Amino acid sequence: MTIEEVAERVKKVVSKQLKVPVEEIKDSSDFVKDLGAESIQSIELVAAFEQEFDITMDEEAALEVKNVGSAIGFIKKILDQQGKKNQT
Amino acid sequence: MKVCIFEDDKFEQLYPLTYLRPTFELKCGAIKLWERISRFYKDCEVIFWMREVLVPVFKKSLERVNEPQLLNDDVLCINGRFLLLDDNAPSLKGDEEIGIQGDSIVYARINKERISGKTVANLFESLQNMKTVLSKKEVNFPLISYPWDLINNNGKAIKNDFEISGGYVLKGELHPQSCIYGDSKKVQIANGAKVHPFVVLDTTLGPVIIEENAQVLPFSRIEGPSVVGKNSQILGATRIREGTSIGPVCRIGGEIEESIVHGYSNKYHDGFLGHAYVCEWVNLGALTTNSDLKNDYSSVSVYVKGEPMDSGSTKVGSFIGDHTKTSIGTFFNTGAVIGIMCNVVGSGGVAPKFIPSFCWYLNNMFSKGYGFRMQVETARTAMSRRKVELTQEDIALLKYVHEITTDAREKMVKKSRMG
Repeated sequence: MTIEEVAERVKKVVSKQLKVPVEEIKDSSDFVKDLGAESIQSIELVAAFEQEFDITMDEEAALEVKNVGSAIGFIKKILDQQGKKNQT
Repeated sequence: MKVCIFEDDKFEQLYPLTYLRPTFELKCGAIKLWERISRFYKDCEVIFWMREVLVPVFKKSLERVNEPQLLNDDVLCINGRFLLLDDNAPSLKGDEEIGIQGDSIVYARINKERISGKTVANLFESLQNMKTVLSKKEVNFPLISYPWDLINNNGKAIKNDFEISGGYVLKGELHPQSCIYGDSKKVQIANGAKVHPFVVLDTTLGPVIIEENAQVLPFSRIEGPSVVGKNSQILGATRIREGTSIGPVCRIGGEIEESIVHGYSNKYHDGFLGHAYVCEWVNLGALTTNSDLKNDYSSVSVYVKGEPMDSGSTKVGSFIGDHTKTSIGTFFNTGAVIGIMCNVVGSGGVAPKFIPSFCWYLNNMFSKGYGFRMQVETARTAMSRRKVELTQEDIALLKYVHEITTDAREKMVKKSRMG
């Protein structure tokens, strides 16, 4: 999966979970400060990313990710590590 | 003669209550199971034997734990699941003997020569081996086998504790505008305890014990047999029904019936808790409520070792592990089993009957939450508010439980995502 494909799907998940229009979600958007994620929503986001990409994330490491761009990179790395390159 | 209280191999049947404690640390009545045994054999030195993983934590409080060199005298080994009421205890006197009930060893009276100086790595295993050499006796003593056994015996145990501890005591403050409804001598109000105005202590069904420095705030009603532990607060207009034990340093509000709150836990607000056992450091959010009776009055099934089991009882509430938190408006089904360090967020419906340890239940989905390290930090914060330290030994035990519960947790998360 390309980084662009990952980015598109990450932003769709973020939009659905945090109820923010997808066009307002930038790579630089901070989950808490810009997108208004509460602590519980952060947990839900991690679960939603795992479900969307069929991956397993270390929850502590995942919750260290503060903005959308970092999340895209984090998930791309896990996809590569977990051999999910061709998943659609 | 020494008395050795041992944990046998049935501890898993008492999960989640025994993840962080040996079976004999469970409470029934005003005190713990081991305290009931120790109280009876008061002239004997009492030693303890438990799972090795628990030793670093309990060595501090119980001291004489898993030490073979202390088995240097005639010894009466007693199963830590033994519920000692009245005088129903095995005798210290007599020949060597092993008391068996079903597949459980209830007690073993062993001579010094047989046990002293032996290498005992695991006392329970040694006792199993002695079944073939000691005189065997079939016995019928009360053993706590499942969590609901603690609840079903709690009222009886409280009555027993009241009598054994000397009956009527009035050392604390009983406000003149409070009321004892029933036998006025069926109360114990210990030093420093305060019963505020407009409180009713109803002793018609059994005694009410208010321990040191506990407070019962106005408009509360406590039905005996019940116990309010040391330094606990019963908040205004709380309704405590018969058969309830509140441990030390708890804050309790709302309605609670035939339940045991082990200690250091809060149920501050309204909401009903019935036929439940709540471990330590639990916080139940406002309006958290459990069912303890099915609408068809049939017996309640409870998850034991990961599988549903018929309790044979029509009144069973929830069993909630240490450090678990619930949000406002959380509903638990009849016979729910909630592991340790869970976070259950009410979403309008009834939470599942089994929530594995360290799980979050949020928007009708299971998740792994924010990870072990953060959960430990939350526990540290909660404990420090009551001036209790979370030790390295506690953390190591939590880590162990986190590991042994991984499969159950991951299975539930996966199942929940499959819808």
